Amino acid sequence: MTGPAEVHPIVAFHEVSKRYRNVIGLNKLSIQVQAGVTGLLGPNGAGKSTLLQLATGQLYPSQGQVRVLGQRVWNNPSLNRQIGLCPEQDAFYEWMTGWDFVYTSARLSGMNRPTAREAAGRTLEAVGMTKNKDRAIRGYSKGMRQRTKLAQALVHGPQVLFLDEPLTGTDPVARRDLIDIICRLGSEGKSVLVSSHVLHEVQSMTPYIILLNHGRLVAAGHVRQIRDLIDKHPHHIAIVCEQYRKLAGRLLAEEDVEGIKIAAAERQLMVETRSPGAFYSRLPELALQEGMTIEELYSDDDNLEAVFKYLVNK
Amino acid sequence: MTQAASANPLDPARPANATPLAARGGSRLTPLVTLYLLTLRRYLHGKRWMVMAGLFLLPAGLALLIRATSRDVQPMRLDFLLAFMFIPQALLPLVALVYASGMIQDEQEEQTITYLLVRPIPKWALYCVKLLATITTAVLLTIVFTVLTYAAIYIGADSRVKDVPLRCLQAAGIHSLAVVAYCSLFGLLSVLTKRPLVWGILYAAFVEGLLANLPFSIRLVTVIYYTRIIAFRSLEFIVSSYGRTENLAAEAWKLDIAKDPKLLEHPQTSTCLIVLLAGSLACTALAALLCSGR
Repeated sequence: MTGPAEVHPIVAFHEVSKRYRNVIGLNKLSIQVQAGVTGLLGPNGAGKSTLLQLATGQLYPSQGQVRVLGQRVWNNPSLNRQIGLCPEQDAFYEWMTGWDFVYTSARLSGMNRPTAREAAGRTLEAVGMTKNKDRAIRGYSKGMRQRTKLAQALVHGPQVLFLDEPLTGTDPVARRDLIDIICRLGSEGKSVLVSSHVLHEVQSMTPYIILLNHGRLVAAGHVRQIRDLIDKHPHHIAIVCEQYRKLAGRLLAEEDVEGIKIAAAERQLMVETRSPGAFYSRLPELALQEGMTIEELYSDDDNLEAVFKYLVNK
Repeated sequence: MTQAASANPLDPARPANATPLAARGGSRLTPLVTLYLLTLRRYLHGKRWMVMAGLFLLPAGLALLIRATSRDVQPMRLDFLLAFMFIPQALLPLVALVYASGMIQDEQEEQTITYLLVRPIPKWALYCVKLLATITTAVLLTIVFTVLTYAAIYIGADSRVKDVPLRCLQAAGIHSLAVVAYCSLFGLLSVLTKRPLVWGILYAAFVEGLLANLPFSIRLVTVIYYTRIIAFRSLEFIVSSYGRTENLAAEAWKLDIAKDPKLLEHPQTSTCLIVLLAGSLACTALAALLCSGR
């Protein structure tokens, strides 16, 4: 995968497989994640969390090699000073206050008392938790819990951050704030690998994505590169038109139209074509010639959601 | 969200005039000390210690009840029954099992172990520190409630037992030693099996409860045997009633040397100490080794 800035990979998986008895979590995965923010996408069970657990040394790969910052990950506790993990699970020492939790995380990372105190205060401020820092975590909302989890991952100033579904369950305000924080981390030179199954969220953080499905790498790179992949395959273009049957008959005569599905209830045609650009430019002229009014024209294939759906179902 | 003007808010450990990462850390022991304190705090915040304290109050409560209902009961008998039969046989394995079996498993079930695994702490050290905190908790409970039991037995009683405070201290020491061994053993069990509580109860009932009371060499594999030998060799359990003198421990623990000269071959106190401590160390080392490979 080509990253935004550096050449050396921050995270490198080489032919990595992870099996849980008969279930394959990851299957011969080889990826290189460069500096900056990278989105890790895939449906539930795609292997995103397994990948993050392998990258943070919580799991041992059944096969292959995992390296972060050029170092092996497994049983390498000193590397943990340079990495931070915001886990997916909503688990805390519930009896702690937010401040206590983040301060303890700083101390567990090896910081002395004054530095840890200062770092905890500043991190909580950065994630917008200063006001609620002295309340017990058990009383926090989902958004506060996510912010606190992010704070514990950041408090020791790691170089690489692994964020597992950090936006899950958050309200729109918290979501916006967390996205801003993640974007800022990237712009400040941190490397962030953030997993999600909500594509537009990832798109708002980074154009660099890794797509996983069933433990396999589906695609990796800039979203543009990934969209190019789909251009080689049929696009689906929806057309809403009063005379949809007449239009369907006319379009079937076109060479680049692979097929048409009719949704009579919505007066809609779903046209499949391998040349979406040519199709779009020819359609207005054709409609004029036939005296038809096109009410609506759109393609789901133009957004990342469609790319994702297409690639994982391929 | 606001940002501190003079520092980088998203790299809190690296203020504007920051020193390198290595220079701003505490000592190498900082994560371990923090983990130790965190584990102790975790135990304090759970309800477990209250349940354990309730159980540990049983011998003291029983002592008060017996004294209130039978005025001629000898304190030594109560001492032996409660402090050297009930506590080591029932309570010490239980407290050790409940704490040691959960020290890693609870973190796994509550999914908080992740926060520990991503810190600069080797897995073997993580296990050892958590075991140390577990032993600290169990030993503190043991000492406090052994003292309470002795207070309930001897305060205000007409006792001919010499130097009760010293005896209480010795009993607390022997109990602590047993609890250290049990914690190490059950800690290993928690690493070896997914159901440490079930296996631990079976072990406590069958091995420590049954085998330890058989007058055969098989009892050499039990913790309670060595604990009893130390108690037998360092404390007196002799009572006189109706002109007859008897050694309570010799009878109950099948250690009557007068009747069976072979019993002279029982290990010395120092040997028992070494066996218990070495066994505890071996269990800890094996469990730590297993943890580091996971």
